[in-house]
Amino acid sequence: MIKDTILESTALESPLKAASQIKPKTGGLKKNLVASVILTSLIDAFSILVIYLLVNFSNTGEILYLSKDMELPQSEQSEVLQRTTLVKIEKGQMYIEDKPIEPSELVERLVEIKKSLTTEGKYTEDMLALTLQADRRIKYNEMSQVIQAGSHAGFSEIKFAVLAN
Amino acid sequence: MKKKELNHELSLIAFISLLSVLICSLLLTSIWVHIGAINVKQAVGGQALESSEKKPTLWAKMQTQGNIVFQLEEAPGVKKNIRVFEVQGRDGGVNKEAVYTHLTTLVKLLPNLQTALVKPNAETFYEDIIVLMDQFKKVGLVDLGVSPL
Repeated sequence: MIKDTILESTALESPLKAASQIKPKTGGLKKNLVASVILTSLIDAFSILVIYLLVNFSNTGEILYLSKDMELPQSEQSEVLQRTTLVKIEKGQMYIEDKPIEPSELVERLVEIKKSLTTEGKYTEDMLALTLQADRRIKYNEMSQVIQAGSHAGFSEIKFAVLAN
Repeated sequence: MKKKELNHELSLIAFISLLSVLICSLLLTSIWVHIGAINVKQAVGGQALESSEKKPTLWAKMQTQGNIVFQLEEAPGVKKNIRVFEVQGRDGGVNKEAVYTHLTTLVKLLPNLQTALVKPNAETFYEDIIVLMDQFKKVGLVDLGVSPL
């Protein structure tokens, strides 16, 4: 007889039987509002997300701000960008650290920046570099002014900002 | 003696909360666009001619429509057709594959070739300069320079 078996006793005591919608133990045809969540797969999905985000995590921080009109060229051989003096060319206007500047004042301003860097005494050789940020469709005659000004001011390295592939 | 229970219940709610907090913080701080840099050394000031050792140098003169004329300097003994070589552009830009093939041949011929100088013209696009420097770095030319106009 089924009553004598262990199956009968466990089936009666099971919380699943009380929650059954076909034969509810109590409350007639009352709709069950408790939805069961499959926690194992949820945790699996969460763990995969965490691992993916941790792998993609970068501690270098967002050094450059890109406006929506600016598209940097792509590069497969780029190096990690370090924060140095930034010169930006956007829509024909030059900027040093987001402050607009006329091309004729560029050398003078860069000389001042270099002087302030060297007099503070807290600089390394890497800091004596210019970062050039410009749209990929810009022509070299505009970029050349920055390169020349950088050389005149004593910046020994130019870092061309690119999108890393 | 009572046998020790080996099965333990994990507190899944706490675990899910922890994972959720981690996901939120990582999503907020993650960088989706990775910005890198191509570093180019520029000449500052003068240097005595005697002190500078003569090394083979590759000049890349960028012309219109992505055409590039490669010219080897300080490389005696290299045939003229290799010393001066022109790579035609493609679709108005630099032909990456053709440039890479030519550079690979040059590097095999001159293993000590490490310096390359780019000479763009006024109308050269920034993108084309980066594509060319990318190819230089790919074949192991690490000392790069850009000539101003």
